Amino acid sequence: MMRKGVEAVLLLSLLFFTSHAKATRFSPPGKPALTRCRSPEKETFTCWWEPGSDGGLPTTYALYYRKENSETVYECPDYHTAGENSCFFNKNDTSIWVNYNITVVATNALGSTFSDPVDIDVVYIVKPNPPEKVTVSVMEDKGWPFLRVSWEPPHKADTRSGWITLIYELRVKLEGEDEWEMHLAGQQKMFNIFSLRSGGTYHVQVRCKPDHGFWSEWSSTSYIKVPDYFHREKSVWILITVFSAFIFLILTWLLHMNSHSLKHCILPPVPGPKIKGFDKQLLKDGKSEDVFSALVVSDFPPTTSSNYEDLLVEYLEVYIPEEQELTLEESKDLHDSCLKSEGSTSDNDSGRGSCDSHTLLMDKGEAKEGERQTDQEESQTEAQRQQKDWDEEELTYTHEDMVSPDMSSGRVKTWPSVFSPLPQYTLSPLVQRSSLEMAKQHCLSDSMFPPSSTSSYLIQPGNSTKEALGPSHWEFSLSNKQPQLLHPKTQAHSDINISSIGHKQTPVSLQSPALRRTEYVEVQRVNEEDMVLLQPIVCGEGCPQMRQAEDYSKVRGVDSDNRLLLQREVAKEEVDMCPYEDQEADGATESCYTSSDINTNQKPPACSYTATPVQDNRTLPASGYVDTATMFTLPTY
Amino acid sequence: VHLSSVKQCGVWAVLLWPYLLSVSIPLDCKEEQGSLSRCPSISQEKLLDRVIQHAELIYRVSEESCSLFEEMFVPFPLRLQRNQAGYTCITKALPIPSSKSEIQQISDKWLLHSVLMLVQSWIEPLAYLQTTLDRYDDAPEMLLNKTKWVSEKLISLEQGVVVLIKKMLDEGMLTTTYSEQGLFQYEVQPEMLESVMRDYTLLSCFKKDAHKMETFLKLLKCRQTDKYNCA
Repeated sequence: MMRKGVEAVLLLSLLFFTSHAKATRFSPPGKPALTRCRSPEKETFTCWWEPGSDGGLPTTYALYYRKENSETVYECPDYHTAGENSCFFNKNDTSIWVNYNITVVATNALGSTFSDPVDIDVVYIVKPNPPEKVTVSVMEDKGWPFLRVSWEPPHKADTRSGWITLIYELRVKLEGEDEWEMHLAGQQKMFNIFSLRSGGTYHVQVRCKPDHGFWSEWSSTSYIKVPDYFHREKSVWILITVFSAFIFLILTWLLHMNSHSLKHCILPPVPGPKIKGFDKQLLKDGKSEDVFSALVVSDFPPTTSSNYEDLLVEYLEVYIPEEQELTLEESKDLHDSCLKSEGSTSDNDSGRGSCDSHTLLMDKGEAKEGERQTDQEESQTEAQRQQKDWDEEELTYTHEDMVSPDMSSGRVKTWPSVFSPLPQYTLSPLVQRSSLEMAKQHCLSDSMFPPSSTSSYLIQPGNSTKEALGPSHWEFSLSNKQPQLLHPKTQAHSDINISSIGHKQTPVSLQSPALRRTEYVEVQRVNEEDMVLLQPIVCGEGCPQMRQAEDYSKVRGVDSDNRLLLQREVAKEEVDMCPYEDQEADGATESCYTSSDINTNQKPPACSYTATPVQDNRTLPASGYVDTATMFTLPTY
Repeated sequence: VHLSSVKQCGVWAVLLWPYLLSVSIPLDCKEEQGSLSRCPSISQEKLLDRVIQHAELIYRVSEESCSLFEEMFVPFPLRLQRNQAGYTCITKALPIPSSKSEIQQISDKWLLHSVLMLVQSWIEPLAYLQTTLDRYDDAPEMLLNKTKWVSEKLISLEQGVVVLIKKMLDEGMLTTTYSEQGLFQYEVQPEMLESVMRDYTLLSCFKKDAHKMETFLKLLKCRQTDKYNCA
């Protein structure tokens, strides 16, 4: 009992110590561990273990294995083939049908230590050897090189019979690089690598793996150098680059040459305004007034000094009936009324303008007589002599008048209304003897007179026009009274009148209504000689002593300068007794008013007159209607 | 004294109890990777697949060997693919189903046993063939290797089928008693042609039996997965 108890205690203490034994100088070995088991060809396999601490004592290791579902424990048949701490199972001991349960036991003097058991299925621990005989070569494919890698499976692996099926993998890298380029080759034993860098050195390695197993180790590196092939490629690119640059330059040059036309083609220019006189710059400046004012052309509306004669549809016909001339001669009493118009040729139907103021006409005519000296020279009749007398007397007048015409160069001459009552003017006594100067009223309508008007022009002077007559002078031939009969008073009066008329003086006398009367001269027609024949209107009523002694100036024509050329003829002042002849007697009138034809011998004695043509070179303004008072010009006597 | 020994054994058992547990507890292995796992047995499906693959290989190599031998040694007029009258296969006497109808009626167990019989009956003849081929003067290396390989693999196949039978049928280890029955008997043929013809016959028969083995195993696999559609 006692011994049993001691044994039990000893056993327990042993157990205790075994469990909690600490490593003193000597201890049982440490626990080994199987690290790995590998089969290279699925026919044999090897297991390696890692020994634990040996405990300070020599330790032996033993590997025991048991096959599946078998209790028989076998020990490792071969400890040496595979090296240290390994166990090699040969072909006879290897079975793919069963699992192996392997345990390693470490044993030393103090005890044994078992490792953890490991179950092994041979098929799943296959790790083949690396592929063998790896060869790399450079081959060419249409000028482009590539690598061809070929190898063989490890000689132990039975791939021929299909016992093991291996798949391969290779990797490539350039010399000097760190990254490998992996390629999976499958079951083939050859592989091509393209896209090589010319002149580079490549490293190639191959490995393999069974369908169930581990990758083998990489084979030993194979080196290959790729020859240089870049030169040919480069030259082609250089050629292409140069050629394209050349073409590009040509295109650029062409484009530059035709840039203008291209620009017109692509972006057609916007047409600007094309208004004559339109200044775009002014418009941009915003001065619309200037713009539009620039548009106004000076000669628009056309106020051309086109020939007013174009507007004349019909010719003006002026005539003075011979009776009026005759009356002028006979009447001597008309001195007082000499201022009045010598309405010698007063027609009933014609209106009288200022030119019809016979009084003025007469005065003027008296004045003019002096001016007609030259004309009188030509006359050979008594009238001529008379005229001379007159002229002498009227020199004063004419002198004044002389001035006036000079001053009136280029002025419109109109008949003063004084002359309208020419018919009243009686110069008959004078007329008879001397050539009467028939002051013709140059009642010429302006060429501006509308052609629609009748041949008879009505010219009406205005009193106001008298004043306006300042610059203008009238020269008219008055159906002169007999200068002899002119009383100094009258002369003076007429003188005054004339002077006033001629010199911008308001002719008082002219304004006297008694003396003055607005008469109208009717333009009858224009005769063949382009002479406008004016006919004073016969004042039917209240025309005392209206005589026909009106002086008309014939219009000779219009010269090139648009100047009306008047031809003054001495009109015979017709005294009442002088039969009034119709104006139609052109021939008579002609004879009466023959220019410079003082052959009045032919004239009827009652109507002795001298006709002196008057040529008036006064220009008529091209303005509109001109008052007759200003229109007429009296030729210089 | 007897009691003390028993106590010692008990003590040893107590000391070693952790290790006993690992041995006694079978672990069903389901891992297929090559890791060191605690997987004591291979699964039945995997085993069957491996056996089938094994049989396929054997058949392929035997076919190649036969063709090789035929090209080398057998005169053309005598080349036949079926058994001639003079030469019968050694395994004809085995109770092996030979027609398709019989195969369909046979059970799994009997399929496996048939395969095992075939395998075990051919191990010895193939060993003999190996020796006779060595006596040929110009026998190609490849032929010799192939035949050698076949004989080796056949033995491995036998082991596999035994394990398979044990696993599937849960039967005990069967010894290779069939091979001991000595179906094959040596007959020394002095004439070359006779020898050649005999060897040729041997290879042909083996080729056919290998094909049978493969077929049986594949049928067995088919039955494992889909029982009613296997032909």
